[in-house]
Amino acid sequence: MNSLETILRQLRRAAARARAASYAVHGLVAAGAWIAAVLVIARLVPFERRAEVAAIGVPVAAALVVLAWSLRRPSAPLLMALADIRLGLKERLSTAWERRAEAGPMDGALRQDALRHAAGASLVRAFPVRVNRGEASLVAVLTIFALGLALLPNPMDRVLAQRQADRASQARAAKVVTDAQKKVAASDKPNPQVEKILQDTQAKIREAASPRKALESITPAEQQLQRLTDPGTPALNSSAQNLANALSGTAAGRGAAQAISSSPAKGAQAVRDLASQLQTLSPKDREELAKALAKASQQAQNAPMRDSLSKAASSLQSGDTSAAAQSLNDVASQLDSLQAQQNTDQAVASAINGLEAARQELAAQADRDAKGQAANGTAGASASASASASASGNGNGNGTGNGTGNGNGNGNGNGNGTGTGGGSTGGTGGTGSQGSGTGSGSGASSTERVYVPGQPVPGQSENDPTPLGPGQDVPLSPFSQVIQAYQQAALDATDQSLIPGSERDLVRQYFSQLGEQTQGAR
Amino acid sequence: MIAEEPRIDATKVTELAQALEAELARLIVGQKELVRDTVIALIAGGHVLLEGVPGLGKTVLVRSLGQVLSMSFARVQFTPDLMPADIVGTNVIGETDGRREFRYQAGPLFANLVLADEINRATPKTQSALLEAMQERTVTVGTQTRSLPSPFFVLATQNPIELEGTYPLPEAQLDRFFFKILVPFPSEHDLLEIARRTTGESTPQLEPVADGGAVLAAQRIAREVPIAEHVLAYAARVIAATHPDRSELDSVRRYVRWGASPRGMQTLVLAGKVRALLEGRYNVAFDDLNAVARPALRHRIFLQFEAEADGITTDRLISELLEHTVKEPARD
Repeated sequence: MNSLETILRQLRRAAARARAASYAVHGLVAAGAWIAAVLVIARLVPFERRAEVAAIGVPVAAALVVLAWSLRRPSAPLLMALADIRLGLKERLSTAWERRAEAGPMDGALRQDALRHAAGASLVRAFPVRVNRGEASLVAVLTIFALGLALLPNPMDRVLAQRQADRASQARAAKVVTDAQKKVAASDKPNPQVEKILQDTQAKIREAASPRKALESITPAEQQLQRLTDPGTPALNSSAQNLANALSGTAAGRGAAQAISSSPAKGAQAVRDLASQLQTLSPKDREELAKALAKASQQAQNAPMRDSLSKAASSLQSGDTSAAAQSLNDVASQLDSLQAQQNTDQAVASAINGLEAARQELAAQADRDAKGQAANGTAGASASASASASASGNGNGNGTGNGTGNGNGNGNGNGNGTGTGGGSTGGTGGTGSQGSGTGSGSGASSTERVYVPGQPVPGQSENDPTPLGPGQDVPLSPFSQVIQAYQQAALDATDQSLIPGSERDLVRQYFSQLGEQTQGAR
Repeated sequence: MIAEEPRIDATKVTELAQALEAELARLIVGQKELVRDTVIALIAGGHVLLEGVPGLGKTVLVRSLGQVLSMSFARVQFTPDLMPADIVGTNVIGETDGRREFRYQAGPLFANLVLADEINRATPKTQSALLEAMQERTVTVGTQTRSLPSPFFVLATQNPIELEGTYPLPEAQLDRFFFKILVPFPSEHDLLEIARRTTGESTPQLEPVADGGAVLAAQRIAREVPIAEHVLAYAARVIAATHPDRSELDSVRRYVRWGASPRGMQTLVLAGKVRALLEGRYNVAFDDLNAVARPALRHRIFLQFEAEADGITTDRLISELLEHTVKEPARD
């Protein structure tokens, strides 16, 4: 006959098994519910790490179940009482266990009676391993539901893919900017200010919420870079070139002319050498040099350079070689200044090139995003507009541009761009930075017809009457009938303008997108 | 392994009950539950109110019980003109050695076994006189209180019909009864057996099988039966559930005016202990409490008039609350 402790051990083991099965099913229900909930949420909002979050529910549920299983172990009195009830032992075990330390008149008989009846019963049957049918059904339902959610296409996948593409695009753009920064740093004359601007910009691009937001950080950076350049540099450069041209015709100044043409720094050194050799020149060479300097002075657009050249020429003609040498040294100093400014301009140009490349990358991704949204049929429309400006020739170039974007509906965006350009030999065209803009509008339904001023393209349907605009005498035509004319006019304008090819591609892309929407509306 | 011998021979109680039941069965046909409940009340030391229509053998049962127990037996026929002095006794003038003096003449309550036949026909005054005797086991005459013999066992009968000119027992008096046992109408088979036994040439003569000492010993043993805490808690839940302000049962809340008193709890537990012994167990089980719940509680639960109108009985309510009261102990 077993002792009460032995009976208790057997009951504990049986109860532990039964509870383990029960808690396992609880855990499956919890895990299934968690996974289903995560998958449902992932269909309502973009949820990138849904697989990981859903999967983590399984070990968490298992841990919680094990914790609950270990913490909620039934006490000995409870085990005995449940065994009594389930095995029909008429409360013999629980009473005997409760009075196991008592020595009352009937306690001995009670214990013997309890042990005798327990020996005749199968204690394991008190705690059978049984799975609740309702819970098992719930697990099956949750499993099927979760599988269905996992296997059926998720509309949020496209959004997630776009986000990933956005991040990759921003990373590429930021890398381009970083490369530009490294290039500036690796040059002979690194410019800390330019490097700082590029560094800040690449950080903003990387941290921006979207390519469109990242684009907004480029224009201010370009404006900051442009403020580093000196507007007087082209005039000074032109004056230096004129000086080189003038000196090239003299025997004494030919070397200096070549040096100036080579670089302002070398030219400055050559001019200083020339100044130190003035006393050794023959009177004929001095006169020839004085004429060349006077000619260069007349052509100089930079006032200090003009003054220095004029003084040098007059001093040389009057035979005051020391004053002429002093004036030539001033010219050399201005050439040094020109060299420094050119270095800065080169760094700025390199930086702007990097930013432009980043802009191309981001703008392309923003366009793809807009197309994706249009394909999704979202009512809210977003549009991006880019504008470019250019300036050519010597001097400064400024440009402004406006753009209109169209999502699934109509949206308007405005952008502004400014640009400067400088040329060393006759001038090169400047490139204006792109403007950026955002727009919003409500999408037109497929049956709605949009009218704009213009004449239909021949061959288009003219069955519909052409209304006049309110308060106008301009005939209005359906948007779909004039889009081709608009596109052709825009492309012709871009072909005739000195704008980069990539900008023309943007215009073409914009109109082709409008054309697709027009066909879709039909 | 625990090898202990019981210090009390509880089997003596079982043997006493079996002997009583067997001897009574010679005369009482069927009615096993009635006899079992009466024996439980006897061993628990409680009084019994038997209710049944005339002719069901209530008086025969009590008289037979007096025969099988070697104890003094008295029968009092309660009538409206019965006075308290008629049952508790009175002081009468007697003459001793030429001197006249008042002498106490004990009433019929001074017996071990008292049959109060048709108790509801006596006036409340007389019923109240019985009240002290049942609860305190003493009677007071004049200024002197006298103890009643031990054991003292009152079996009262009442007729649920013919209520004209009766005085229903008040709640306080009803609560003094350990059990209220309903005497059922015998089955057809039992009727045949009754006819055979009682209409022949001779009727069975019962023999005494126990005396007052055996009954008192059994009463002491019964009180030693252990009851587990969760079983005791179950009894408390059952009692609490009879109260309309504590019960979760709609029927109790709707039909019950007053629930069982704490004395009902005592009765439930004590009767459960006796029944456990009679079932050969040394502990009280839920089944014991359930088995004695109806006779222990049916006269302690007082119904609203609405219950009478709807035909609701206390037995039905007790069955319902026993069915809904949780047995499993709460988790720690």
